[in-house]
Amino acid sequence: MIPLARFTPFLLIAALVLVLITQPSAEPNVYEVFRTAEIRVGVDASYPPFAVATADDLYGLEIDLARAIGARLGLPVRFVNLGFDGLFDALTTDQVDVLISALPIDLARSGAVHYTQPYFNAGLVLVSTGAYTSLRDLPGHRLAYEYGSTAESEVRLWLRRVQPFDLLPLETPAEALEAVRSGAAEAALVDAITARLYLRVHADWGAASSPVTDTLYALVTRGDRPEVAAQIDGALAELFADGTVAALIDRWL
Amino acid sequence: MIRLSIAVWAVGALVPAPPRAALEVPDRIVETLHPQVCLHTRLIDEVEEWKLQRSLQLVREMGANTIVEFFPWAYIERAPDQYDWASADRIVRHARNQGIHIIARLGLVPGWARQTADDPRAERSTLNTLPADRFPDFAQFAADFAARYAGSIDHLIIWNEPNLAFEWGYQQVDPTGYVALLRAVYAPIHAANPNAVVLAAGLAPTLEPPGSPNGLNDILYLEALYANGAADYFDALAVHTYGFTEPPEAEPQPDALNFRRAELLRDVMLRHADADTPVYITEMGWNDHPRWTKAVHAAQRVTYTLEALRMIETDWEWAAKACLWVFRYPYPTFSYPDNFTFANTEFQPRPIYYAVQAYARGWENTDLVPKRENGVGTRHASSAQLNDCWISQPNSHSRYRVGTAFWPSAAYNSGGHDNSIYKKITVFVGTRPALSAVNGQGRRCPYAMRSSTGSEAP
Repeated sequence: MIPLARFTPFLLIAALVLVLITQPSAEPNVYEVFRTAEIRVGVDASYPPFAVATADDLYGLEIDLARAIGARLGLPVRFVNLGFDGLFDALTTDQVDVLISALPIDLARSGAVHYTQPYFNAGLVLVSTGAYTSLRDLPGHRLAYEYGSTAESEVRLWLRRVQPFDLLPLETPAEALEAVRSGAAEAALVDAITARLYLRVHADWGAASSPVTDTLYALVTRGDRPEVAAQIDGALAELFADGTVAALIDRWL
Repeated sequence: MIRLSIAVWAVGALVPAPPRAALEVPDRIVETLHPQVCLHTRLIDEVEEWKLQRSLQLVREMGANTIVEFFPWAYIERAPDQYDWASADRIVRHARNQGIHIIARLGLVPGWARQTADDPRAERSTLNTLPADRFPDFAQFAADFAARYAGSIDHLIIWNEPNLAFEWGYQQVDPTGYVALLRAVYAPIHAANPNAVVLAAGLAPTLEPPGSPNGLNDILYLEALYANGAADYFDALAVHTYGFTEPPEAEPQPDALNFRRAELLRDVMLRHADADTPVYITEMGWNDHPRWTKAVHAAQRVTYTLEALRMIETDWEWAAKACLWVFRYPYPTFSYPDNFTFANTEFQPRPIYYAVQAYARGWENTDLVPKRENGVGTRHASSAQLNDCWISQPNSHSRYRVGTAFWPSAAYNSGGHDNSIYKKITVFVGTRPALSAVNGQGRRCPYAMRSSTGSEAP
């Protein structure tokens, strides 16, 4: 009679191996997540410089970012060009795996969909050559902005909170920036996209921008597909870490 | 058991009470210098009464004394002859409390009035499908509605945009069918409320050609309505006119959709000798969504809207009301329609709200919107805007000249009256063609004028 105890270590190791080879992996691989062996990306390619369609191609910041995510996951990207008001329907009806289309994070939708970490903040910024980093620095000075816009809403809010400042309402945010550059106003309150594009063209101006509000653009996946969200989140995190996202933003904005 | 009941009561007592929506005492009055300004609301889908009240308070504070509101037949008469007026009643109650008139749009077919299950067309029926043999049912509902709210709601729009297949039950649009619908409702409504003004539905601005499965060009559709005898079955015409990407002064063209397309509709009325029938613009406006190809910039939306309101008051004497689409949605659409609104779902007014408020209430606009030499914030009512109508304040020898705006103000008064007296009177838009107010030529003014006491102006 051979003592059973002599085989106990071997039995334990065998049992462990059996468990490991029969248990499904906690992290499904990318081909299990994207079963068409591609990432189907929904985009409204009519919003430069984020996504634009030509006769036979798409280009823009978000096109490059989606391709970078695909490359990181080792999968080809297939863009599905949609109308803006059809984006979320396409996602919920499984026509696409992910949306990327300058979509602000909206908490009202966060139950049905998953937002990645934001890749761009398109909120309002204060642009000036002086030490104006907040609207609280403005009393006694003149602020230019586009009337009727979210900038006006913010101005109305601040006029209730701080000492009065002079107002220069204009018809476009670009005119507001022009007013600062010409000395007609000390600062302009405009969206970050307009500010970046303007400062890019007038690189010798020497003005700087400070964020005032947040409008955070993020990729969107279905709320009931956490495995898709995990893959996109992971790839995006790596692209942030290695500087790819920042480089793409600098390239296009 | 007693302990359990006490516990339940105690827990219930800790639950915060819902916000109250008690009526304000006394009833409020809309202060405005431009009473043609009106807002289209979306109140019927509000669940919480305080939201309905808050909406109407903001409408009043903006200086709009009239709203257009949808009263769906399917909500009210869910089964034949079984009416649930509760939702409609509370809208009427709160609107009256805020001093706001209602123009009601009637439509949306209850299930029992659509095709029956054994009808092979039943699968294709929608909430806008109304078989011709059900017209009498709709007419009965419209008459019951008119009777119930007589004096509170005297303006009734019959259906909505019947020149679109979507609004006509996804069937081929049919002007003769719509004339039949108008004919079916006209007499019953007037029998129920002789003061009622039956408005033919606003048509969707569209260039769809004859035979299109989507709809029919609104100009052609209106021509067809007149050709089929519709003029005898409506008292006023509702008009929908949007500027899309063009400014309000853009020339109207038959093959273009812009704000002044309303003038082409008016031309159709004139060609059919229907000049005396007033027009109510029950939808108008611009959109400033950054992702919609038919939108404008935010500043353009403000400028265009204000200039359009001035244009209506100055040049479109045939337009009784200018109702802007849309005050607020009860829930976000998450798309471009959200940028037609004047306030978001959290009741935060957008800048367009303040701009129209400053215009309507005659406030010197704040420095938040620039003044332009021939545009925003500079033009004032002139004598050219007045239609030479006069009313007299009861128990007073003073007479006041009023314009198409029907509001006595410094701008509209003839000289020599005492402002202190003027401030004590309240005149608001009448709800039916006037019998009492006359102009210098003895012609009847197009609207009744009533004092705050409710008596007719002599």
